[in-house]
Amino acid sequence: MSDPLIPEAVVVIDDDYAMRFSCGKILSKMGLRVQVFEDGTRGLEAVTAVKPGLVVVDLKMPGISGLEVISRVHQIDPQIILIVMTGYATIDTAVEAMKSGAYDFLPKPFSPDELRLIVNRGLERRRLAIESQRGEVDRALLKRTFVTFVSHQLRSPLAAIHQYLDVLLRLEEMGDSPARRREWIGRCLKRTEELQGLIADWLTLARVEGGTLLKERVEVDIKSTIVNILENYRPMAAAEDVALEASLPKEEIHVRGDRTCVSVVFDNLITNAIKYNRRGGKVTVSGGLSDGEIVVAVSDTGVGIPEKYRPFLFDEFFRIKEDGAKRTEGTGLGLHISKRIVSEMGGSIEVESQAGVGSTFRVHLPAWREPSDAEIGGWQ
Amino acid sequence: MSAKVLLIDDDRDFRVSVKSLLESSSYEVAEADSGHAGLLKVLEYKPDVIVLDIMMESCTEGYGVTYALKYLDEYREFRGIPVFMVSSIQETPDERFPMSAEVEMIRPDRYLTKPLDIPRFLQLLEKAVASSVATT
Repeated sequence: MSDPLIPEAVVVIDDDYAMRFSCGKILSKMGLRVQVFEDGTRGLEAVTAVKPGLVVVDLKMPGISGLEVISRVHQIDPQIILIVMTGYATIDTAVEAMKSGAYDFLPKPFSPDELRLIVNRGLERRRLAIESQRGEVDRALLKRTFVTFVSHQLRSPLAAIHQYLDVLLRLEEMGDSPARRREWIGRCLKRTEELQGLIADWLTLARVEGGTLLKERVEVDIKSTIVNILENYRPMAAAEDVALEASLPKEEIHVRGDRTCVSVVFDNLITNAIKYNRRGGKVTVSGGLSDGEIVVAVSDTGVGIPEKYRPFLFDEFFRIKEDGAKRTEGTGLGLHISKRIVSEMGGSIEVESQAGVGSTFRVHLPAWREPSDAEIGGWQ
Repeated sequence: MSAKVLLIDDDRDFRVSVKSLLESSSYEVAEADSGHAGLLKVLEYKPDVIVLDIMMESCTEGYGVTYALKYLDEYREFRGIPVFMVSSIQETPDERFPMSAEVEMIRPDRYLTKPLDIPRFLQLLEKAVASSVATT
């Protein structure tokens, strides 16, 4: 494939010596590796051997015609760009050449600039075609890796549960151990919850990608959403010795959106703030309304997020792999999902962080407005 | 004297259940929760057989262990040790990793999927230990 450091190879086929000479000169001055041939047969041999990026061929030649050359080059490598030169410029011949696969045609006589222009365009087109192909290969590879990754994530808890139950049955034949049974059943339950969490995350992501996430557009009360989430996580926070604090304004803060989605946004931020905190630390959720915009901040007193990771924080599956970082369960999709939802709602998320102090995630959302009479009238 | 098994897997639950299973079958068991920790444990514990999860923190972490055992000088003594590779992925490694270096290291009777088929696992383990004892 083309290496940017190696000049692109070009083959010129024309029975006219002067044409071969001048084309050769112009193209090598452009930094291309040029080979010139006086007939189609020799030209095709070279194309097979060298696999150039571009071939310039005269349509009217004795021996193998230009059109024949085009079709043969295509057989050798359909990605080679073909430019035909037409001496007796009739539209028909040129059109036929294009139909047979030529990229463009150059009526003789042409100026060096015209040749340069057309060759550059042709090479650029080839570069793009190759790149997008590589992109497709990458995407296919990424998709397979993705499927393997998801399958492993979902299968692992199931395998652990199955293993526990299978071994338990076997060991109980040899002797009873209530303590072990309690512990193992408890672990199976935990892994079941983990599995449910993973599946929920994956489904949310699938809906985000599929554009079907935001199901309803109703007035959502942010304050009660946050209060509910904090209530749910009180036991988890207590287990991690992390305090939960809400500092919400007296006035109502409402957005227009899907209740589940709004909940997911803050659920992810709050669970992260609890998970990535320090013992004895604190999570603070504060909010306010100003100028038609709602801002909700979720702060933690964790280790902070190093500057170098900030650009990637909201990427799918991004996890910080550092010695100090906790090894966490979950899909690594939380922030990505939150960001997608917020964007779809016309808002934004940003993060501020200080090493050793903590991080603050700020969500901006347009505030709910009472629909105006014009809107109620049908224009939406 | 019981045979010594080293369990290398980052899934704590898998380690707990398999360790209990093996101990009830008269094996002595040590654990490690990562490839790196596992390699250190090999030198210290000197197991007779290793049970190793392929995909731990990274997709191919298990192969790091087999590579070390096969090629590094400090593990010369363990070059022939039977290694059972386990994974929750159902495909065989040559389907999943068309990289010959890794596939070379896998023998079909040493690649097991999770959850383990207990009777088969115990049988293969017994055979592996018996044959390695025979060669030392």
